[in-house]
Amino acid sequence: MTEGDAATLLEIDALTVRRHGEALLEGVTLRVRRGSVHVLVGPNGAGKTTLLSTVVNQIPFDGQIVLNWAGSGAIGYVPQIFAVDPTLPVTVADFLALTRQRRPICLGLTRRVRAEVARLLARVGLSGLEARPLAVLSGGELRRVLLAHALDPEPELLLLDEPTAGFDESAARIFEALVLDAKRTGRTTVLMVSHDFELVRRLADRVTVLDRRVVIEGTPDILSTEGVRELLPVRERRAVRA
Amino acid sequence: MNAFYTWIGGLALQGFLPSDFQYPFLVRGFLCVLIIAPILGGMSHLVVTRRMAFFSAALGQAAITGVALGLLLGEPLNAPYGGMFGFCLLSTLAMVYVKRHATLPPDTLIGVFHALTLGLGLCLLVALTRQFNVHQVESVLFGSLLTVTDGDLLLLVGIGIFVALMLVRKYNSLLLDSLSPPLARVTGAEPAYLEYFFALLLTLSIVVSLKIIGALLVEALVVVPAAAARNVARGTRSYLIWSVAVAFVAGAGGLGISTRFLVPTGGAVVLAATAMFFLTLMARSMGRRGPA
Repeated sequence: MTEGDAATLLEIDALTVRRHGEALLEGVTLRVRRGSVHVLVGPNGAGKTTLLSTVVNQIPFDGQIVLNWAGSGAIGYVPQIFAVDPTLPVTVADFLALTRQRRPICLGLTRRVRAEVARLLARVGLSGLEARPLAVLSGGELRRVLLAHALDPEPELLLLDEPTAGFDESAARIFEALVLDAKRTGRTTVLMVSHDFELVRRLADRVTVLDRRVVIEGTPDILSTEGVRELLPVRERRAVRA
Repeated sequence: MNAFYTWIGGLALQGFLPSDFQYPFLVRGFLCVLIIAPILGGMSHLVVTRRMAFFSAALGQAAITGVALGLLLGEPLNAPYGGMFGFCLLSTLAMVYVKRHATLPPDTLIGVFHALTLGLGLCLLVALTRQFNVHQVESVLFGSLLTVTDGDLLLLVGIGIFVALMLVRKYNSLLLDSLSPPLARVTGAEPAYLEYFFALLLTLSIVVSLKIIGALLVEALVVVPAAAARNVARGTRSYLIWSVAVAFVAGAGGLGISTRFLVPTGGAVVLAATAMFFLTLMARSMGRRGPA
């Protein structure tokens, strides 16, 4: 880790990712302020998910990514894709216990971990789902379980890739409250990909419009500017006008 | 060990144990099954979860090539562990390395290794038949209780304890990595390390089980128990218990069939395991059809 600006948690410089010779991201430079909610928006194929993947060091890249940790250094992550084998007998409680107990979960969960799992599920409005296999959860339920996993222990950086996809209204309200809570403490920095522009307006401190490179960055108001609206899919353009 | 076999034999003669146990080689075989069941059963539920069934098949073929190499280099016929372990280790490292660095799908790459080790193994086996009677090599291919020694049993115990301890240390990370490598990474696990680590444990488990199960059939015992367990398990704990139970019943049942009908142990064990698979499949379908 190099010496960085104390007010900035994440510094990305000249980030380039290529696959089969084609640039998925080219020369992206981005600063994410500590304690802020920073949202990435852009059309499909703009490289938003790719950018999050580079932050967790999942894919090779050129350029520099610096994380200026000041606290736990923990990362919470809700990935866009979490494909569960439909015959895999792993329950919600098993999954949440994986990083919360040292003993192999196949030997059973401790009483402490069972209580912890119940608390985490209550936090995302899924009490009582402990024994349900991951494979039978709906898309929205699965994302709430992933969110519960990502929020504990309290992350210093929370990466959310389209976290509200498949959420109903009450789930969306719970999600918003949780992110606002994290923001209020100032200890968690959120970098989120979202297509829900109403949500972005309510939660975001900064917005970066990405289309393989940074198109524009600013407050959520930039979403209403003409050049940005042209870039977005029709559904999102409607949301911006509203 | 002889005193132990005599004592067990005495219990069998007095009718406290099945009459088969008056023969030391059967007692030894049963002890091997007692150790192999938790090792391969335990490994199998992670093998299936990590989608490494085809990898295990390639490793079984590599073991045949390893045995042939070892024998050609002068290893004793009843303990060709050097060639077997050396070649399997080399194949494992090569398969994992190429899989991680190539852009082709994993099953395609493993198919290439599968073909390579099979072709090489067949050529070496033909060369081997000039020095040994093919029936002497048969026990390695199909498994045989008659060739298992106390040394093999001790090796099995040692490796079994080592594999179990390593799995206990890394089980949760291995499972999380199977579900989502990015999630495993953000919690501090290193997916590349975990992949090599598990492949090496699998190699060790397969190599020490070969004399009982046989090189051609060992892959079945690292896949079928977990496949059967999936038909009935409702959580990770029951998944492990069922995998080990199926491996044990298949092992003990196969042992009985093998001695009664004088068929290769490996074949009998695998037949018993697949029978368990179909039984659990039926149980699952009946459970679904049952009252709500």
